[in-house]
Amino acid sequence: MGLLVAVDQVDKVFPLTDGGEYVALKGIDLTIKQGEFVSFIGHSGCGKSTLLNMIAGLSLPSAGVLTLEGKKITEPGPDRMVVFQNYSLLPWRSVRENIALAVNRVYGDLPKGERRSIVQEHINLVGLQQAADKMPDQLSGGMKQRVAIARALAIRPKLLLLDEPFGALDALTRGNLQTQLMRICDENNVTAVMVTHDVDEAVLLSDRIVMLTNGPGAEIGNILEVDIPRPRERMAVVEHPSYYSLRSEIIYFLNQQKRIKKLRARKTATIARHGLEKVNLDIGFVPLTACAPVAIAQEKGFFAKHGLDEVHLNRETSWRGIVDGIAGGYLDAAQMPSGMPLWFSLGGHKNQPLPVVTALTMTRNGNAITLARRFYDQGIHSLESFREMLHRTPETQHRMGMVHPSSMHNLLLRYWLAAGGIDPDRDLALQTIPPAQMVVDLKGNSIDGFCVGEPWNLRAAMDEVGFTIATDREIYDGHPGKVLGVREAWATAYPNTHIALTKALLDACRYCADPENEAEIRQILSQRAYLGTPIEYIHLGSPSTKVCELSQPMREYAHHIFFGHGANRPSRTEHLWHMTQLARWGDVPFPRNWLEILERIVRVDVYSTAARELGMLDAKFTRGSIHLFDGTDFDAEDPIGYLNSLAIKRDITIAEVVLDTPGLLAA
Amino acid sequence: MVTQAPSRNQAQGTSILAPVQRFWQKRGADLIPPIIGIAVFLTVWQLVSWSGATRLPGPLSLWTDTRTRELLLYPFYDLGGLDKGLFWQTLASLGRVAKGYTAAAVVGISLGVLVGTSPWLNKATYPIFQFLRMVAPLAWVPIALVALQQNQPAAIFVIFITAVWPILINTIEGVRQIPEDYNNVAKVLQLSRKDYYLNILFPSALPYIFTGLRIAIGLAWLAIIAAEIVMSGIVGIGFFIWDAYQQNYISEIILAVFYIGFVGLLLDRLIAFLQMKIAPARK
Repeated sequence: MGLLVAVDQVDKVFPLTDGGEYVALKGIDLTIKQGEFVSFIGHSGCGKSTLLNMIAGLSLPSAGVLTLEGKKITEPGPDRMVVFQNYSLLPWRSVRENIALAVNRVYGDLPKGERRSIVQEHINLVGLQQAADKMPDQLSGGMKQRVAIARALAIRPKLLLLDEPFGALDALTRGNLQTQLMRICDENNVTAVMVTHDVDEAVLLSDRIVMLTNGPGAEIGNILEVDIPRPRERMAVVEHPSYYSLRSEIIYFLNQQKRIKKLRARKTATIARHGLEKVNLDIGFVPLTACAPVAIAQEKGFFAKHGLDEVHLNRETSWRGIVDGIAGGYLDAAQMPSGMPLWFSLGGHKNQPLPVVTALTMTRNGNAITLARRFYDQGIHSLESFREMLHRTPETQHRMGMVHPSSMHNLLLRYWLAAGGIDPDRDLALQTIPPAQMVVDLKGNSIDGFCVGEPWNLRAAMDEVGFTIATDREIYDGHPGKVLGVREAWATAYPNTHIALTKALLDACRYCADPENEAEIRQILSQRAYLGTPIEYIHLGSPSTKVCELSQPMREYAHHIFFGHGANRPSRTEHLWHMTQLARWGDVPFPRNWLEILERIVRVDVYSTAARELGMLDAKFTRGSIHLFDGTDFDAEDPIGYLNSLAIKRDITIAEVVLDTPGLLAA
Repeated sequence: MVTQAPSRNQAQGTSILAPVQRFWQKRGADLIPPIIGIAVFLTVWQLVSWSGATRLPGPLSLWTDTRTRELLLYPFYDLGGLDKGLFWQTLASLGRVAKGYTAAAVVGISLGVLVGTSPWLNKATYPIFQFLRMVAPLAWVPIALVALQQNQPAAIFVIFITAVWPILINTIEGVRQIPEDYNNVAKVLQLSRKDYYLNILFPSALPYIFTGLRIAIGLAWLAIIAAEIVMSGIVGIGFFIWDAYQQNYISEIILAVFYIGFVGLLLDRLIAFLQMKIAPARK
């Protein structure tokens, strides 16, 4: 497939009536291949139609270049025919005459009869034989749009441009037309670009979906590849395993844009009080049982107790939200999977190293691996039998869910699989799915299993859709679960706030570990502001009788550790293990300067100050190696040697990772 | 005009009486109020005239006065010179209107297209057009007479200058108001200038142009009467009125006024009919 359209560093600026200017689009880079169907999606006013018009040549870029087959686009032309949102049929010409206008223009040198048959052929193509001689006024909206499509296709454009083509139509007509357009595009190998605000339409029709951020200065936020095979059937598309993740990806993006808009509008000033640099904090969390310390610190007043009296908790449904919040700077701090500070710092997010530090491990354990119930019924009760099954059926694509590449779930799941001789990328496909979505996907058969924090393993077992095949207690007992993460620049700017925040959460961790408080904590967590799930699914510590009664998981329940000897102290050894695992699976390079990075990311000093001020003595911490279920011990002596010794791994890159100078604060 | 329709149909015999009755049942409600209105108006006028409150004769005088009765009965007589029947008088005026109006339409539409397609030209000419438009037809008469020396071309010029503004201004507006969508279609298809004018510009601007033409025909007809009253010694319904006034034939004036009103109505209907045929209204 050759390259058809190239958009290179394109800006579009509109002059305003008051003499100023509005930057609609900024730095747009995009290529469109021959035969591809690309959609632009974004909120109203994000400039998606502007971009389409620039490809059409109807408006010219303020900076940058657009090319069609290598030639600069300077004016509109019939090789880039547009289907306009409001059809743009000429009302004084019949259907036939409207199409003929375009055909006569483009095929003027063909004999009359031939031109007439081209017109007729395209009237037939869109099924308008009955209405061929009617005037546009006599047609319904759907029929008009079919005429517009026929007119566009009749002149065989190199590129078909559709500007919200079905926006004004009722749902039924829209559905029919989408199907017809898809068929026509497939049969005629049409290259098309469509502007839409309909998520389902974009997924159904597109090969790639370009998501634009909000203006002013809109840019491409993300480009999604739609891996659903063609020809597509509406119902089959909906059932395709990727459908819901694509859909939720787009919806997440659009919601995120809306939030950013709101946050831009709400300009918050830093409030300093009680000797702390900042007491108004936005803290992000994901609703999991492991969010208990954050929830308790808020509900039981630990934040206020330590002087942080204006803490606002932001409930994110996925780790993506946390990532964007920290990267975008609108979260001060967040509950993070234990690998995320390193993942950020080593450039896991958009290949841009962003130093994020951690001073507190809030939970340990609490994760498990669940497989679909049908494997249990087939007698697959162990890693061994799971591997045999996978190798027996290489033609079937098995999928498993995890919550984020940097989370312990991903690393545990991969470690467990690889230790059992399963390549997590070749024998399986791992998908990033928000925690709350896991059980639904398992029910819907779009995944075969997952690794996630509680309560979702328990819930899958109680709903009898899955069973726990392994818990973290067997794989890596006492592994760090969730940590407190803040940007290094933030920690440098607000050092006392950072200590106060660590103290408040450490205090809350202690509260969570007290069995007397369990009922209350479970009750708080079940509220809508946190998990919003029935209380019987939520368990904190010691295994409940209910779980032991389950016939399937004959194992110890994956219980959380919130507090205890060495439980909360951030450990460099553990983070080094994360570093090796992230590098092992190719998410980030392994830093040659790993020692320096660990020193900067793992803020034991902040933890120690906080613990001391709370009167906790952390002297009992012993530095030792990590014991894993496959019998290997990990110590911090030779991480590169350790990586080389692994059998199943991706191509590992070792590189110097240069972090910004600490102390430079982004405003 | 409308009131005559049923009576004429009735005169044609009983065979078509049933459809007439149906028509009356359907449209009667719409027709009765104007008929009553006209009747009351004429009656009051006649009564006022009889009462002697004004020297103005009543409508009945059209028949009772010998001169007007003859004019009414013999519209086609032609005794040479200025002594012609009202048909010839009206026709002469119409002829002038036709010439002036046609010139106004040609100039107005072409200039309008030119100005409408060029924003710069539009800005440049806007104040001039708005200024000239405000000059009353009668004010042009002396200018026309001085410039053209003769009555006939001067009268035509006055028609032209009166009628051209609404056509021009509406055409400019019509061209400027062509929906961006249609222009985009033309741009994407890279239509030639000729194709663009024929297929996009004219069809799209046509409703505006016709609005201009309809306003202009009314103004042209108004202007010819004014012009002829001032320009003595020509055949035409305007000068006919002036002549009748000079000779104190008041009833003749009233008759001529009926003619003028009726012809004006016909002209307006004619353009409306053309508009309906050429550029029917769209939803």
